[in-house]
Amino acid sequence: MGPRAAISKTAGRATSRLLRLLGRNASQLPGRVALALDPKLLQGLAGSLSEGAIVVCGTNGKTTTTNVLARAAQQAGFSVDCNWRGANMLAGITSAMLFDKGADWAVMEADELSCVHVLPQLAPRWLVLLNLFRDQLDRAGEIDHVQDSLVEALASSPSTGLIVCGDDPLSVGVARRAAEGGTRILAFGIDEELPPPPDRVPEARFCQVCGAELGYAWRAYAQLGDFSCPACDFARPPLSFKARGISVTSEGVSFDVMDGDGAPLTTIKAGFGGMYMVYNLLGAFAAASVMGVSPEAFSRALAGYDPKNGRLEHYRLGEREIVLNLAKNPTGFNQNISLMLADERPKAAFFVINDDYNDGKDISWIWDVDFERLAEEASAGRLRVVAGGHRAHDVQVRMKYAGMEAPIARTVAEAVAALEAEEGAKSGDPEPLYALCNYSALWPAKAELDREAEAL
Amino acid sequence: MSARSLSICHLFPEALNLYGDGGNILTLAKRLEWRGIEARVQEVSLTERPHFADFDLVFIGGGSDREQRIVCERLLAQKSELKAFAADGGALLAVCGGYQLLGHSYAMGEETLEGLGLIDLTTDRGSPRLIGNIAITSEICEHPIVGYENHGGRTHLGPGVKPLGKVAFGHGNDGKSGEEGAISGTILGTYIHGPLLPKNPGVADWVLARALEHRYGASELEPLDDSVELAANSVMYERLMRGEERE
Repeated sequence: MGPRAAISKTAGRATSRLLRLLGRNASQLPGRVALALDPKLLQGLAGSLSEGAIVVCGTNGKTTTTNVLARAAQQAGFSVDCNWRGANMLAGITSAMLFDKGADWAVMEADELSCVHVLPQLAPRWLVLLNLFRDQLDRAGEIDHVQDSLVEALASSPSTGLIVCGDDPLSVGVARRAAEGGTRILAFGIDEELPPPPDRVPEARFCQVCGAELGYAWRAYAQLGDFSCPACDFARPPLSFKARGISVTSEGVSFDVMDGDGAPLTTIKAGFGGMYMVYNLLGAFAAASVMGVSPEAFSRALAGYDPKNGRLEHYRLGEREIVLNLAKNPTGFNQNISLMLADERPKAAFFVINDDYNDGKDISWIWDVDFERLAEEASAGRLRVVAGGHRAHDVQVRMKYAGMEAPIARTVAEAVAALEAEEGAKSGDPEPLYALCNYSALWPAKAELDREAEAL
Repeated sequence: MSARSLSICHLFPEALNLYGDGGNILTLAKRLEWRGIEARVQEVSLTERPHFADFDLVFIGGGSDREQRIVCERLLAQKSELKAFAADGGALLAVCGGYQLLGHSYAMGEETLEGLGLIDLTTDRGSPRLIGNIAITSEICEHPIVGYENHGGRTHLGPGVKPLGKVAFGHGNDGKSGEEGAISGTILGTYIHGPLLPKNPGVADWVLARALEHRYGASELEPLDDSVELAANSVMYERLMRGEERE
């Protein structure tokens, strides 16, 4: 590492210490300061990793997948640098490596559009691509643009292989183009027929190569499934990691993992998540395998997994159970609706939508969420909804057109108060409240619950 | 009055679904249902050839460039039928990419492509894209129209073509003229999505009134309680007018 890098690293570390002393968030600014002095600092920091780096990207599930993978590597005895809290642009990843003391691995999540900056410097051994959904159109632009950017990122780092969700035509579209440029590909996916999901295919109905409408042998959710084009050879690639025997209940998920020849590798069990979590965990397991992490270490990491990062956190507020989760785009919301409907108790939902820059200013996607699936439960008196966030009134309109009346609340406590005002002197346990928040709405809700409620 | 019903054509939802366009169709259907009028919505896919004369209302949404090109080629084959539909007083609502298709021509990359020629307007491209919240005032409804715009196209209205409204916040047709959208007879085109209709019930009812006229010759619509919709409308309008958002 040259003098410029050394000075930039020192400045970044000093910034980090100062921020911590002030009790401020140190996940971005230290990296930004350091990069201003040496834009190539990450490359220097990456050079001291004894094993290398793994980068995880994809519209949904990055933070959880990265956290599980990094924990699994630690369980296997490796030392790991990780952006645990999800600061996933170049500055955040650089910040997470500033205090590196010769770690074995860097396990980093990266924003899809940041990969083009991160990959050439970090030169990870593998990039894990979980999925691509429509998200934050005003910032990310159309999905085509995100795909182009990922192909460019992989071209800029020839030593990086791609671990891709083989069930996602949009991710496979990226893999196909990257492979033409020489990128090694490993695909993971589900290897058994699933019952028809309740949602529709919101995007990627068309072949990535020829534009014909794709056919499906079965579908897991959104555009994920065993797809093939009726008009050309675009189809699900051969899978190197296959999930079978899948069980998804309100208690969590479990499935067996086979290798490409069908030989059993392990059984994965987690006490959280829906169908989307099968893919996240399968992707994490695939990456763990190529890192040399044993299935036993992976299981140990999952058994103790409690990230406290606002993803599927359970609290008790008074007598009421509160489930907090992130939901920031139609696919994420639809998966959360499935999760809620799997809970057989009467329940309430608090939908919180902000439109800060990090959320995307355009919230038209709330009309792509299939809230209509909740209407039946609501009319049977088994589900109540409350609207929140800077765009609470838009949520309220969306609920009205889905056939539900939603009062407006600013905080979780206000949402509970609104429910209790309706309940009057109703006896029995209060119904659980699912607080589903988009990105910038998640942190205030989590801070409120951390302060006011008991974590379960 | 005996049971009334309207036929609504949702064009190519598999390709034109970029900005919550399903919300526009849902709003039209619900606002008919709440008035005891049956809404017969037909989703027409790219592989089908719609019979426009059967419909009272046609909706064209927005898609990505690639999809918009496919849609336009598909519709050019039925240009005269669409023209006849509009000439017969059928209501046509086109948003964003769909709006651009209504003109004589529109630009895609370096190319200029032929449009449907239903309104005297043309669209070329400019930089940067015009993105952000938008509010306009319009003669067709009492309340301002609020929503979101995201377009690279710059749309220029021919002489005598009326805009949908005047820009109060945001960019509109070309970012310069202070005008947004276009109205010609029973055709309404606009860049405003978000989607357009849920929070702008006056626009939804204007379109429904044209469709009712087409079917029954009378356009009276029973008033609805729009307090939830209008609250969302005015919260956003006031936020924009207070200058809390960058333009």
